[in-house]
Amino acid sequence: MAFEGKKFILLGERDGIPGPVMEEVLKSLGCEVAFAVTECFV
Amino acid sequence: MDLQNQQRVKEIAEKYGPENVVVVLGSSDAEGASIYAETVTAGDPTFAGPLAGVPLGLAVYHIFDPIFKEKVDPNLWEEQLGMMEMVLDVDGLVNAVAEMRKEHSKYVL
Repeated sequence: MAFEGKKFILLGERDGIPGPVMEEVLKSLGCEVAFAVTECFV
Repeated sequence: MDLQNQQRVKEIAEKYGPENVVVVLGSSDAEGASIYAETVTAGDPTFAGPLAGVPLGLAVYHIFDPIFKEKVDPNLWEEQLGMMEMVLDVDGLVNAVAEMRKEHSKYVL
């Protein structure tokens, strides 16, 4: 599939979609997550 | 984008090769999503961080992009993203990232 062999960088946002949420969704597709973070703007 | 995170993006692209790296954004507003997408494709537009003048050209998508939604189990999608999908401007976010991707990405999924 298109995602095979790709390394995913997840740049989440506290007021949007946090990193761990994206990680759970993309891991269900077999995506390999290299780095996941949640930024917040205060 | 946070300067430390810019550094991590740069290191990962160097380690695995930019053609093998995909960035997924969870931004809540189109303007922010556009700046993030620009940073990982054309370089840091504020010229403040490690990606200033570094056009990585990475493949970049918003998590709401249909490329993901059409593949994810609908129950999982609803459980994890359904609420935010209702309150955020899904099309605006997807399009903002797509425009930057079309202009600056050297790689796509």
